[in-house]
Amino acid sequence: MTDSPRRSPTEAGPAVAVHGLTKVFRVPLHPSRGIVAVKELNLRIEAGEVFGLLGPNGSGKSTTLKIILGLVSPTRGRTEIFGRDSRLVESREAVGFLPENPYFYKYLSGEETLRFFGRLCGLRGAPLKKQINELLDLVGLTKARKRRLGTYSKGMLQRIGLAQALIHNPRLVVLDEPTAGVDPAGSREIRDLILDLKSRGITVLLSSHLLAQAQEICDRVGILSDGVLVREGRLQELIAIENQTELVIADASTHLVNEIESVINRSKAKLIECRKSTTTLERLFLEATAKNDEARASDDQGIAKQKP
Amino acid sequence: MTKGNDLTFQPFNDSTTGKLHRAFSFSRVLAITSNTLTELTRLRVFYVLLVFGLLLIGSSVFMAQFSFQQEFQILKDVSLGAISIFTSLLAIVATARLLPQDIEDRTVYTILAKPVPRFEYVLGKIAGVLLLLAISTLVMSAAFLAVLYLREQTVIQTTLKQLAGAPADQVNEALKLIRSSAFNIDIFPGIIIIYLKACLLAALTLFVSTFATTNIFTIVVMAFIYFIGHLEATAREYWLQEHSSGLLTRIFLAIIALLFPDLQAFNLVDDIVAGTAISMAVFAKTALLGIFYTTIYTLLAAFIFYGREL
Repeated sequence: MTDSPRRSPTEAGPAVAVHGLTKVFRVPLHPSRGIVAVKELNLRIEAGEVFGLLGPNGSGKSTTLKIILGLVSPTRGRTEIFGRDSRLVESREAVGFLPENPYFYKYLSGEETLRFFGRLCGLRGAPLKKQINELLDLVGLTKARKRRLGTYSKGMLQRIGLAQALIHNPRLVVLDEPTAGVDPAGSREIRDLILDLKSRGITVLLSSHLLAQAQEICDRVGILSDGVLVREGRLQELIAIENQTELVIADASTHLVNEIESVINRSKAKLIECRKSTTTLERLFLEATAKNDEARASDDQGIAKQKP
Repeated sequence: MTKGNDLTFQPFNDSTTGKLHRAFSFSRVLAITSNTLTELTRLRVFYVLLVFGLLLIGSSVFMAQFSFQQEFQILKDVSLGAISIFTSLLAIVATARLLPQDIEDRTVYTILAKPVPRFEYVLGKIAGVLLLLAISTLVMSAAFLAVLYLREQTVIQTTLKQLAGAPADQVNEALKLIRSSAFNIDIFPGIIIIYLKACLLAALTLFVSTFATTNIFTIVVMAFIYFIGHLEATAREYWLQEHSSGLLTRIFLAIIALLFPDLQAFNLVDDIVAGTAISMAVFAKTALLGIFYTTIYTLLAAFIFYGREL
């Protein structure tokens, strides 16, 4: 940002590459003291994958994302987006960003917001109009397109935020806590959209401290603690317990279960737990609220039919 | 939410934006400018200041009326004073919130995470304010000229009634005197200088806001600069009378002049009211000074903002 960045001749390579990144924030009036936000971070995110940057609050996730986006300059090291130094403004042509708890201009409608961000990306005229229509459809805000953002709910703001991040069809989407403060239904919609982006070949880099959600959507994760990358790799490999195996059987009789248990007991293996499979609390919540919504809708229809 | 399988939405490719990234894009600046103008025109403070300005201009009609010359003098004095004060206030209040608000609301992240250079962002913001100031100056000037014209017509009608039956030469002489008292061509350069002074204050406010942490801090600093800027010329004259004008003194005064622009130099209202002609040289010098300061402070603001951690 402040230094003159090294230009890369090609756009080949990983979607994001982080080399020896360190960020120290200076303490005002104490130039010799500093707060280390990120320390010697190395990261490589391949094109087309969903990468989760996980960690507790203050672990350096947002700072890392801001450095990748050129909003903050690194103290040491460098970051690249598709082979371009991320301090170069043009590296952001391929990136869409949704910050944590975004506040957009309240006086603009959803459509005006997308038009503004589209114009910033060099779009105009019919292609911009088409893109706005498609994105409003994609995030389910077509009906609210003329409403001012001041009247949007938290979930709607998050979705219009996603739409603006996608306005110029980026190859990389960076999401900082994309489901923070969003209810389970809205959260699921955003998660589905991330998976949809992945199916279109778009690389997604997201930061989160909602581990269950990250587990559902991430191909690979990196765990930051006090600015240091303490774990990194494919999610399934990281969470697998090497010496344990799970069997999930449908319609098993008690006899069959007893048989399996006795086979295990005869071998050198040890049965740790035998229990009924459970659904997730989120799935239970969504099913319950969906049924409630359906019942309310059919009640409304019944009342409407009774009216002359 | 739509699953989107039927949509044509595809990842980025060069045909999406159609061209390579340009180091400077007028259309990007224009997008930020028009958005800033929309933001400012939807602020209540804009309408409050504009209405106060218009009310003051309108009410000047009812001020002391000993003779038509005095009436026109007071009308011009109050109206041009009102335009000057309200455009200056608007410049400071409107600009002080622009950058800190965007940073606090994190909207700046979404804008700068797009391929938008920071210089274009700052330029777009200041251009939006300058456009707003131009609109405000035009509206208030139009109101002032309309009031002045209406009063002139009223005085002409009254004079014609009083001079009914008088010789044509005497009537023509009286009308000429009324017209010259009401309008003089120097009103227009005077208004342009008032606008340029507001532009200077807006650019200076933007510069202060790049390192300020709150709007209040920026406004307080600007209030000090405003008063120092108006008293500076008097203080400088006094200083030069008391001390020798050596090299060190001149360097010191030059630094002070750069930090605190001499705002009194932009006050041509007294000359316009007195009917003194504003020479082309004075107008050009003052206008260039205004443009120079506005450019310098905008560049300084862009420079500070370029290195700022967000």
